[in-house]
Amino acid sequence: MKSTETIPGAPVIPPRPRRSFGKWVRRTGWRHLVAWLAIAFALIPVLWVVSAAFTLRPTISDTNLIPQNPTLENFTTLLNNPDQPYVKWYVNTMLLAAITAVFTVMIAAGAAYAFSRFRFKGRKVGLMFLLLVQMFPQFLALVAIYLIMTQVSDIFPALGLDSLLGLGLIYLGGAMGINAWLIKGFFDTIPMEIDESAKVDGASHGQIFWGVILPLAAPVLAVVGLLSFIFTLNEFIIAKALLQSPDKLTLAVGLQQFIGTKYAENWGPFAAGALLAAIPVVILFLFLQKYIVGGLTQGSVKG
Amino acid sequence: MAELVLTDVDKVYDNGFHAVKDLSIEVTDGEFLVLVGPSGCGKTTALRMIAGLEEITDGTISIGGKVVNEVSPRDRNIAMVFQNYALYPHMTVAENIGFGLALRRDPKAEIREKVDKAGRLLDLTSMLSRRPKQLSGGQRQRVAMGRAIVRDAELFLMDEPLSNLDAKLRVQMRAEIASLQQQLGITTVYVTHDQVEAMTMGHRVAVMRLGELQQIAPPQELYDNPDNVFVAGFIGTPPMTLFHADLTVGADGTRLRVGTQDIVLQGDVAAARPFLAAASGGEIIAGIRAEDIYVQEREGFAPLEISVLLSEALGPSVHVNFLLEGTPVDEGRLGSGLASAAENELNRLGQVSGIEGVAAFPPRMNFPVGSRMTAWIDTARLLFFDVESGRALR
Ligand SMILES: Nc1ncnc2c1ncn2[C@@H]1O[C@H](COP(=O)(O)OP(=O)(O)O)[C@@H](O)[C@H]1O
Ligand SMILES: [Mg+2]
Repeated sequence: MKSTETIPGAPVIPPRPRRSFGKWVRRTGWRHLVAWLAIAFALIPVLWVVSAAFTLRPTISDTNLIPQNPTLENFTTLLNNPDQPYVKWYVNTMLLAAITAVFTVMIAAGAAYAFSRFRFKGRKVGLMFLLLVQMFPQFLALVAIYLIMTQVSDIFPALGLDSLLGLGLIYLGGAMGINAWLIKGFFDTIPMEIDESAKVDGASHGQIFWGVILPLAAPVLAVVGLLSFIFTLNEFIIAKALLQSPDKLTLAVGLQQFIGTKYAENWGPFAAGALLAAIPVVILFLFLQKYIVGGLTQGSVKG
Repeated sequence: MAELVLTDVDKVYDNGFHAVKDLSIEVTDGEFLVLVGPSGCGKTTALRMIAGLEEITDGTISIGGKVVNEVSPRDRNIAMVFQNYALYPHMTVAENIGFGLALRRDPKAEIREKVDKAGRLLDLTSMLSRRPKQLSGGQRQRVAMGRAIVRDAELFLMDEPLSNLDAKLRVQMRAEIASLQQQLGITTVYVTHDQVEAMTMGHRVAVMRLGELQQIAPPQELYDNPDNVFVAGFIGTPPMTLFHADLTVGADGTRLRVGTQDIVLQGDVAAARPFLAAASGGEIIAGIRAEDIYVQEREGFAPLEISVLLSEALGPSVHVNFLLEGTPVDEGRLGSGLASAAENELNRLGQVSGIEGVAAFPPRMNFPVGSRMTAWIDTARLLFFDVESGRALR
């Protein structure tokens, strides 16, 4: 036990003046406030969906943030409906998103490498063209895409209407521009001497691309891959237009049917379905996080 | 190992800039050639053409007797050390060093053995599993060297490999690179803008200026007998003092008139320089090295009145920047920091005309700034150049 008595003759240390609350609020307090507001803004909708997923027959107006009687009923309903094969949609969507993401990264990185490292006729024009095309949302071309796909269906049905493969191809086309720009911007920061050094060491263009440039660009590739994955997961308009058979739908299109019909009855399974769909994205993000932390090029050149 | 021959090599960049003009150099097998010149003179361009990283506009380059103009860098069997090292950041030191071997698909055990050997040679053994960003500048430099030496290349190319290091490390690495080259005996072209590196490292030194080769010779030869005014002024620290003089070769001797003073060449000195007679009655450029200017008279020396601009006691000697009445030479000063220091001092004193020069005097002597004194020139060590062409008169 520490005594609080003062020793006679010891110098008296004046107590540290307490900072006033008002001053604290002005200095740092308001930052906390902003932070909490931002967190609430981001999390409340999520919490709300989580809550709805575990509540039996929730309604939009009176869902509590914390479910009163948590139940898995919504999940069982969701997974056991033969008319609306949720599991099938889930597999469709994840495969489509994963494959599209991988190919988006590969194609965009290839284009970016050419634009960043080679000097050829039409390089500047090509870059501007990519950016220009990117300015128009892909669904502006919806009618054209639909018409093209009907014709493709006649010749090669596997890539036409009502085909996930065809849908993936369209996503790939739309994703090229901005991703190629993003990755090119990153490649441009990798010193040319690294390529040249590899060249002198005996590497071919392919070996430089795969062995040196791509590993160094991991952060931006991870970002592009993740964004592409999320885009495919969320994309609704084109998927809705092209996909028809119930077993070929994506999650976005399929889940929309839930709330499109028998709205009140399906709100719970809808929330449950949305929640399950978010899980792979979270896992992917956690997995890619370590690559997204940049700074890999550090230490190559003078430091 | 192989010899390298450049024949009339030209480089014109896409924007029309003529960076290298008619460059012809022969580097013999096992030689260490230093390519030196002020910044922007085309050294890097020349080296990159040898490496195949830059297209050759005209002329031929051959390595080991084989013309390589159309051969890609990876097939030239060369190794290059870049100014900023260009290490692969995502690979460990061992992977960096072994990258070229791995590309060749050498057996793993063999690669490890070679990497270990290079590591021992370069004192990197304990760093082999680190990444470049965990290394100091000097260690990165060594890794870059290691990457070059494991490959058993026929030719080493180095572009200012020491310019990112601090002064002390630079001196140390200078010696290490030179002795490494000696051990390995690999033909080497070493580019630098630092004439001290040029003087100390190479078997021969090629001096370039504005894309043109000025002179190629062993360092001492370059120092003692520069081919032209540029080389005379560029090579040597402190730089040579160069000045205009009116020459008269008459019955009463050979005189150089500098401003209002005369430098008289004694009989035997004049007799050893018969070429001066042809230039008699006209202007020439003369030059004298700092160590050939003395404070005391001796046989064959000529007196010269100078005023002290700046005095730097370096320990072994005192460098005195001085001003001499007369007409200065522009070109002699390129690339020397000392000249600009003297120039600043000049401006401060408000005397802008005259010849600036440097003398190296014995240590522990005092030369007050602004004072006038008589310096003695060893006339036998004077160099002479043509006023028009700048070429050495010999
Ligand atoms: N890609 C290029 N395009 C046009 N001019 C260039 C290019 N690279 C270098 N130069 C010019 O060529 C000259 C020589 O450059 P460089 O060989 O790098 O000189 P150094 O290595 O001697 O400092 C410089 O004047 C530079 O501006
Ligand atoms: Mg250079």
